[in-house]
Amino acid sequence: MTTDSMGVDDVVATEVPPGALPTTTYGPIVATTHGDAAMGERILDVRNFSVDYGWGENAVRAVDDVDVHLDRSTVLGIAGESGSGKSTLVYAITRLLRAPGVIRGGEARFNLGTDDEGEHIIDLVNASERELRGVRWSSISIVLQSALSALNPVVRVGSQFEQVLKSHRKDMSKDQRRSRAAALLAMVGLDEDRLDRYPHELSGGQRQRIMIALALTLDPQLVIMDEPTTALDVVTQREIIGELFELRAQLGFAMIFITHDLSLLTELADEIVVMYAGALVERASARELYEAPRHPYSLGLLNSFPPMHGERTELTGIPGSPPDLAHLPTGCSFHPRCPYAMARCTNETPPLVEIKGSDRSVACWLHVGDAGVAVPVELSRVATGTKKFDPATEVAR
Amino acid sequence: MRLIGHRLALYALTLWVAITVNFLLPHLMPGNPIQTMIGKLTGQVTPQEINAIRLSFGGGLNNSLISQYFTYIGQLLHGNLGVSITQSATVSSILISHVPWTIGLIGVSTIISFLVGTVSGALLGWTRGSRLDSLIPTATFFQAVPYFFLGTVMLLVFASNLRWFPVLGAYSQNLVPGWHWAFVASLLRYGELPVISIVLSSVAGWMLGMRNMMITMVAEDFVLMAIAMGLPKRKVIMAAARNAVLPSIANLSLAIGLVVSGALLVELVFNYPGVGDLLLNAISGQDYPLIQGIFLCITLTVLAANLLADLVYLLLDPRTRTEVAP
Amino acid sequence: MRSLRIPRSPKVIIGLSILGFFVFLMIFGPYLAPFSPDNTSFAPLLTPSMHHWFGTTSLGQDIFSQTLVGARATMVVAGVAGLVATMLSIIVGISAGYIGGFTDDGLSLMSNVFLALPGLPLLIVIDSYLPVDSRSNSLVIGLIISLTGWAWGARVLRAQTMSLRNRDFVESSRIIGEKRIRIMFTEVAPNLLPILAASLLFTILYSIGAYVTLAYIGLTSTSVWNWGTMLFWAQSNNAPLSGEWYWFVPPGICIALVGTSLALLNFGIDEFINPRLRAGGLSGRQRRRLGMPRRQRLGLTPVVRSVTTAPRIAVQTEYSVTP
Repeated sequence: MTTDSMGVDDVVATEVPPGALPTTTYGPIVATTHGDAAMGERILDVRNFSVDYGWGENAVRAVDDVDVHLDRSTVLGIAGESGSGKSTLVYAITRLLRAPGVIRGGEARFNLGTDDEGEHIIDLVNASERELRGVRWSSISIVLQSALSALNPVVRVGSQFEQVLKSHRKDMSKDQRRSRAAALLAMVGLDEDRLDRYPHELSGGQRQRIMIALALTLDPQLVIMDEPTTALDVVTQREIIGELFELRAQLGFAMIFITHDLSLLTELADEIVVMYAGALVERASARELYEAPRHPYSLGLLNSFPPMHGERTELTGIPGSPPDLAHLPTGCSFHPRCPYAMARCTNETPPLVEIKGSDRSVACWLHVGDAGVAVPVELSRVATGTKKFDPATEVAR
Repeated sequence: MRLIGHRLALYALTLWVAITVNFLLPHLMPGNPIQTMIGKLTGQVTPQEINAIRLSFGGGLNNSLISQYFTYIGQLLHGNLGVSITQSATVSSILISHVPWTIGLIGVSTIISFLVGTVSGALLGWTRGSRLDSLIPTATFFQAVPYFFLGTVMLLVFASNLRWFPVLGAYSQNLVPGWHWAFVASLLRYGELPVISIVLSSVAGWMLGMRNMMITMVAEDFVLMAIAMGLPKRKVIMAAARNAVLPSIANLSLAIGLVVSGALLVELVFNYPGVGDLLLNAISGQDYPLIQGIFLCITLTVLAANLLADLVYLLLDPRTRTEVAP
Repeated sequence: MRSLRIPRSPKVIIGLSILGFFVFLMIFGPYLAPFSPDNTSFAPLLTPSMHHWFGTTSLGQDIFSQTLVGARATMVVAGVAGLVATMLSIIVGISAGYIGGFTDDGLSLMSNVFLALPGLPLLIVIDSYLPVDSRSNSLVIGLIISLTGWAWGARVLRAQTMSLRNRDFVESSRIIGEKRIRIMFTEVAPNLLPILAASLLFTILYSIGAYVTLAYIGLTSTSVWNWGTMLFWAQSNNAPLSGEWYWFVPPGICIALVGTSLALLNFGIDEFINPRLRAGGLSGRQRRRLGMPRRQRLGLTPVVRSVTTAPRIAVQTEYSVTP
């Protein structure tokens, strides 16, 4: 299927029944904030966030004192190998993390929007089950890696849309729900007849498209993508990423995109954070990270995947394997695998600090301006400012 | 539909095996039990009756085993299961008067037990770690108690001592059976304790099995998705339970045989006029035609129940309905 | 290769203790019995007392002695039946799963037929034709019970073998040219141990039930004491309705306890096979002390700030930096 036939504009204008998407009602659950806590354009603000697996003496720190934030209609990429804590962080923020995961500290505030009464902000960490249910899917939705296991195997695709709409849009009629589901399928390039199928009757690409359509059912402000294309073949992966990009441009939702494929992220995201062993090691705009990575781990990740555009480069990867979280190395967790490690790295943990004269941060002793430390050339490049990933040229390709 | 075809063929084969075993046993067992039985009967019954009994085992012993086998099958096809030697009536007529009692009692208690066990098992699995977990050791104990022992204890405590329930039989002996209210009420009243006994003995099995499946399902992604979608808790539990119940139903074929066997013995304890009671009398009277008839009848019923379970499974799991894998 | 390490949960410990106690009774019960179980010299229907712990039957036999003596036949028959049935299911299940093709089709069909056949009624028919001297033979009864109880294990083992067949270590033995029989029993079988153990427990449980039932309806020889025969005599003398609870409660409780111990062990094995069933980490009291909710609710990740945060454990590495 071709993406230029999608015409998302038309879909939104004609195929969605008018009145199907009532203006969001916040209900009694959300505190109105004022003064210094105001979030403005910021949609998600996570500070000092820590997550443990297990309790007491057996506890293992999976996410350590992480700050991330995201503005309305932007894309935040979270990159890292498996075990880096990237999924743990996001699942814990949404309170979906399973036992034995425990939030050990920090705050996570989500901005639902502004009206006459002021900003409506929900504190996800302290929210009750009922409050969370009010935010889930209508404001924050999620797409999992394997659509086959994420879709209820004994329920038809249409009924899965039906369930969501029935629970959140009580004023919709059966016909309205059906046409909303059909319109959503059209947005991801699928025929309405897929609604009558069971998940096992569809191909992997179709299932993942349905997951994406499902995530957009309630027009959420934030969509979390947890490695949504990892289980797919490369061609389908490209198609879906392209579609996803168009949808985002049309519908304007913000997105958190989790993947280990950093080069994919550099084309998708506005800002990228790189995680290693539960901590943030670098934060930068996508372009800066791609062209001028500062942390040796970011550089290693970039060299582990072929870039989506441009000439082929030799893939070098990162030597060694991710550390066991229960037995982290002293100092910088990355130092045993780092080709630039210095004496200081083995016993002092580098803090995440802003690089002078830029709005990016890195946690690496190379970049603190110590006398006598020469920053290697591959970690001190300057971003040139070429164009970011453009869906139009991408589709044309 | 192919699945049902397969299952039908399997059950037909099973029935054939049961029939063949039934035929071969009396012929191959040491001590020639048929001859012994007929010897004992000579003089007590008419020669015609002896002939009928012989015929139901495949005819004269002078014929070859093969020809006896075909005679036997022919008799079965005509519905002739022989003549009971203890009750001087045809086995089929005796069965017809007893089978409804058993199907009623065991059917009702199995359905109650399955429903109660499945629902409580689903809740136990969902609320794992809560105080409800303390039910598990008790359930395990009840699962291990033989049906008839539990029935005996119930009879002693609740009927004989506390007099909460009538003692023995299926209805009050003062009533004439028929479709009138007094009789139906008495039927229900007398049925309570046997049904409770069977349910208590069998419910733990369904419950523990369902709990395990539920715990396995709750760890699946689609349940987490249901929560992420902000569905009401009831719907999330239903999503998990709907999938967890499938293996329970798939295992019915194993369980139905065990439940029926166990429940038959409860009839003994309560003097319930069903097939179990009949079986005990047949055994103590060495009434081989009746024993064999009962065995075939139970086999047929269990196979029919299996087929029913297969149909329900087919209805509940769309994956079995797809002929071609994606 | 996984080793069979059963988790040391209370369930397993209690199960093993109860089972151990009855295995002890199986071996020493007949020697510990104060009287002969057939001795009819006491007064009939005595209620439990210091002299007759469990009272006496209507024939004046000591019920305590009967219970002790009865342990042996009950446990031996169940054990024999369980072992033989498990052997049968290993042979059928592993061959079907490993060899595949027509062998698999035939053997699977056979197990499915046996699964669909109602076991106990079949057992009753077979047993009712047995000559009396065979009925008193524990071995014969055990073998017949095993005939009706192997199919479930075979089915489960077949499924597991099929999933093991294509694993690397089996594949490599095949390439080296090991004999099929050797691979089946040295490479495949050890990996089936947990499932095998579960199947053995299940079959023993089934066998106890089947044997006791046969005895209860009078189909085993009355000359061999087992718990089922005791129930048979109690029932035929109308003990339940006459209030002579001490006659049938001891054997019934013994059966239930052995069954419970097997079921508890099965729990342990289930948790071993399926880690999702294992209770995670802390007991209810420990969680309360840490300020955790008693049970973790899905979709409501707990927040625990009150406790000191887990340290990022630091381990010195051997890594040295070249200047």
